[in-house]
Amino acid sequence: MAKSNKMFADKAFELVKELERSSQTIPPFDDDGVRQVLEEIKAIFEENCAQAANYSTSGDRTLWPLLNFRHAALQRNKRCLLTYLYKRLLRIKALRWEFGPIIPADIKTSLCEPEVNFFNTYSKSLASYMRSIGDGQGIDLTGDLRPPKSLYIEVRCLEDYGKFELEDGEVIYLKKNSQHYLPRAQVETLVRQGILQHIA
Amino acid sequence: MSEGDIIPPLSDTEQNEDFDDEVDEEELITAQKVLEIVETAWKNELCAPEILQHQTDMLELMLGQVAHMEENMKDLDKNDFRFIVHQMELERIRYVMASYLRCRLQKIETYTRHILNEEETREVAEKRLSPEEFKYAQEFAENVEQYFQQVALQYMPNMQRAEAEQRIVRPNLMSHVFIKANVDVPSVVVGVDDEEVDLTAGSQHIIPYQLVSDLIYKNQAQLI
Repeated sequence: MAKSNKMFADKAFELVKELERSSQTIPPFDDDGVRQVLEEIKAIFEENCAQAANYSTSGDRTLWPLLNFRHAALQRNKRCLLTYLYKRLLRIKALRWEFGPIIPADIKTSLCEPEVNFFNTYSKSLASYMRSIGDGQGIDLTGDLRPPKSLYIEVRCLEDYGKFELEDGEVIYLKKNSQHYLPRAQVETLVRQGILQHIA
Repeated sequence: MSEGDIIPPLSDTEQNEDFDDEVDEEELITAQKVLEIVETAWKNELCAPEILQHQTDMLELMLGQVAHMEENMKDLDKNDFRFIVHQMELERIRYVMASYLRCRLQKIETYTRHILNEEETREVAEKRLSPEEFKYAQEFAENVEQYFQQVALQYMPNMQRAEAEQRIVRPNLMSHVFIKANVDVPSVVVGVDDEEVDLTAGSQHIIPYQLVSDLIYKNQAQLI
């Protein structure tokens, strides 16, 4: 972008747009972008401070609109930045529901450290909440995501998984490309992890 | 859903023994009634823009009931037709409960600060969140705040930090909802100009949520 066209908060808005457009599970944390926005905020703030001091000594009213303008730019920067972070949090939360308490390694590289911390705390807090429901009986809320249509579903195995024991003790061998007819409730997690594919 | 046949292996007396620590009123409640209440709560929760009264008691009863049914079904023949029907019914109930609690969590996560602030002003009996949900909401709020601090807020100039107030997300209570009146409700105020409408039992309406929220609370109407 040509330097002359650049406006305040362009970079911050860019962050939000980029995130919104990306179709990845979660794009890498834009360390550089965030730092640039923070620097811009700081720069604007310092300029404003200097002029505010100038204003109070000289009482020059012509500075007033400029002060207001800069303040608005600050607010917008801040708002865009926090939106960016918050939108990322939403995606991180979705990870917990999709993949369980452990982040897959390839996704983990996209997160920054505070985000990993957030995920861990969120995961812990959710787990302890689920355990505490119903006087300590607990419900796994990450299961039963769709209304049940039938007890058994037909699944195809997408990778060699190995032995899988059903609740009634029966052991089946999940081999790549094999098809099985299994109780939905018990294999739902495997389907979500992409090991089994629900067919028909 | 065929609530009628969900719990045949169980009579009402058996059930009372299970829950005799509950108050009188609830001892007389049948499993079917509990399910109805849970289902209504679920539907209301899904449709309402704000978080509603928690239904921990009913949910606990239902959970106990489900556990009981599972126990009873262990003795049944797996290939019996009834076994399959009951199993299916259990799956459905479990879905309703999980979906209900998930929906509440979602609202808690979206409106955390707003809900926590509101809870502080409510009397104990009026609390919308169960103690577990309250704990969860607090932890969540703290977690998000800490994250914002770590990544961005701590690097911002002083003045910009103390504006957490601006970040509160509030539900839009004036969003329109579909309702169905359970009983006759005379002269409900609709619209800003004090226009009144009589709702007849069983009639359906589309109306801004806030105007009928107390009807939902009193169970005179339900969201659909």
